[in-house]
Amino acid sequence: MSISKFFRTIFLVDLFQGLWVTFRNQDPKRIYTEQYPAERPKVAERYRGAPRLNINPDNGETLCIACNLCALACPEDLIVVGSERNEETRRKELTTFTYDTSRCMFCGLCEDACPVDALELTQDFELASYTREGAIWDRQMLEEGPRPTPYKC
Amino acid sequence: MADEHKPDGPAPPPPAGGEAGTPPAKPAAPSAKAPLPKPPAVMAVTPWESDITQLLKERFDGQIPEFSTYLGQNFLVAAPEALVPVLETLKLELDFDYLVDITAVDYPKRPERFDLVYILYSFARNERVRVKIRIPDGYRPATAVTVHLTANWLEREVFDMFGIQFEGHPDMRRILLPEEWQGHPLRKDYSILKQDQAWVRENLSIESGQ
Amino acid sequence: MPEATYLDANELVINMGPQHPSTHGVLRVILKLDGEKVIGTECVIGYLHRGVEKIGENRTYQQFAPYVDRMDYVAAVSNGLGYCLAVEKLLNIEAPPRAQAVRVILTELNRIASHLLWLGTHALDIGAITPVFYCFREREEVLKIFENYCGARLTTHAFRIGGLQYETYEGFEEQTRKFCDWFIPKVDEYERLLTNNRIWVGRLKNVGVLTADECKEYGVTGPVLRAAGVKWDLRKAQPYSGYEQYEFEIPIGENGDTYDRYTVRMEEMRQAVRIIRQAVDRLPAGPIMGKVPKVIKPAVGEVYVSIEAPKGELGYFVVSDNSTQPYRVRVRPPSFINLQALDRMVRGGLVADVVAIIGTLDIVLGEVDR
Repeated sequence: MSISKFFRTIFLVDLFQGLWVTFRNQDPKRIYTEQYPAERPKVAERYRGAPRLNINPDNGETLCIACNLCALACPEDLIVVGSERNEETRRKELTTFTYDTSRCMFCGLCEDACPVDALELTQDFELASYTREGAIWDRQMLEEGPRPTPYKC
Repeated sequence: MADEHKPDGPAPPPPAGGEAGTPPAKPAAPSAKAPLPKPPAVMAVTPWESDITQLLKERFDGQIPEFSTYLGQNFLVAAPEALVPVLETLKLELDFDYLVDITAVDYPKRPERFDLVYILYSFARNERVRVKIRIPDGYRPATAVTVHLTANWLEREVFDMFGIQFEGHPDMRRILLPEEWQGHPLRKDYSILKQDQAWVRENLSIESGQ
Repeated sequence: MPEATYLDANELVINMGPQHPSTHGVLRVILKLDGEKVIGTECVIGYLHRGVEKIGENRTYQQFAPYVDRMDYVAAVSNGLGYCLAVEKLLNIEAPPRAQAVRVILTELNRIASHLLWLGTHALDIGAITPVFYCFREREEVLKIFENYCGARLTTHAFRIGGLQYETYEGFEEQTRKFCDWFIPKVDEYERLLTNNRIWVGRLKNVGVLTADECKEYGVTGPVLRAAGVKWDLRKAQPYSGYEQYEFEIPIGENGDTYDRYTVRMEEMRQAVRIIRQAVDRLPAGPIMGKVPKVIKPAVGEVYVSIEAPKGELGYFVVSDNSTQPYRVRVRPPSFINLQALDRMVRGGLVADVVAIIGTLDIVLGEVDR
């Protein structure tokens, strides 16, 4: 064992090297913690969060054409689309739309399947509810989105 | 339904589409007038010849009825009694020293219900081969633990999921499901919504939601 | 001859139960001890069995893709890659070059993320509490890239059969390059913390030795096999998704002990950065989705495709019967097969070594149990 190795062992050089790394990270500029819920994380644009039924901004009607493609694409079969045929325009119109967020795995297959971009997974991730039934969203909740109570520090 | 995989010696001629075993899965061109050729009801395999098949044919004359290739992957179908000797020959003489996987496929309408598949790999040749045997329900194949140690847990899992018991296995019991579970889930007659309600009621004291 | 009382019994059977901070999931290990020395173990698994293979038989090919992410939930992108490659092979199609390059970038980022989590939790089990915070900080950057690309951090569902769903986002290449430049000094930092540290070396050297022959017998693959000295990596031996274009080294170890597995995985992270840099520099333009039929109904047949996942050889054996749902999907889980070798590796060690060895095998119970 060479003399330098001997001194490194006695004077715990390897341990102090590690401690120096730790000590350097105590610098307040290196703090990485996000103080949620005071500062909310900014999620990506493509984030797969809460589903939303989009509304046409011009006339306020829903964009959904009740084609049922999202229900067919869903691996968990949790979308139920109700529609009725409008005799004047001879098209299907959306009546009810049920989406079970408790079983949803946010895979995005329904969003990919929608031909008119009516169903979209938004950036909302705060979907908690107090009851099991509260997780089954109907059309109104889907159009408005979840309204979590804001936290007051 | 394609659950008959008949061992064909000479492969049936591949359907129109050129390459072996790959019929066109979508319309060839909008202007094609001919109707889509129906995909074959059995796997469209081509025969496989190599030094491996030569050696095995010499050793196990008649016990290996089929050597085939599908999509570039070689496999052979052996008689169930010849399984462990074939695995030993492949390991000791042909360098297939690594057992990748053991699994089974259930074809309930066939008299030989299960297709037991052993996937082997050779480091020296950088090649994979599959050994398949067709066994009826209740048949107990010999264990491969004596040849490859990997087979221990893999055979336990096949037993757990399919109910195929291996003769000579040191520890033949369920591995993923609880010991007292009744039923073998990956069989086709075990519905996906089914559970061993008695076990769940007794051990978890709930009425299962399914 | 005096009757043996239970105080004379030398063998103590204790349970390292499913709820344990060091078993990396719900793994139960029943240890037979002679004092502190381990003379036998028995693993009880199945606490996380969700029947993924049975689900595979009841979903269409595209619908099954989100489920495979949940097996190895630490490195979800490689699971998706293996499955998409297997179904593409059944359909006999290939993803276009741009899709393959992006797949390689995401898979290597996923390898870095998986090894970072491994390093953090392994060090935590051994007792070094600091690396876990640093590793998760780096992992956060990788997960940000995943989130920007496909919308989810952990269960990404990034790839589709035939290519990719999403085009790379604005700033993808820049963010990836910045990550690579930022990350390499961090690996040096971990090495400074651990590699020469006498406590680390003392806990890991000559612990859990698995020689190359034993590895091959037990079918163990991945960094465990490479630490035993076998230079074998599926990315070089049977390249897939364009890996043959990239230059990278395969790190190997000498003794097959826990310390070698640590060095192999650290070097693998560096090589992954090397691959990512090459792929980002050469990212080809072009379509991202191949010619895939709208309704996927492969011809009758079966195929086995495997990839080099961060944990070992992850294989998919897909049997098709020409319907929209697979007839059988079998997943060859590397963690399940590596865990079998636990019994051989802990013989003669101490209880503290059991924790080190479970950590070094890098198992994820989601994959072990499926």
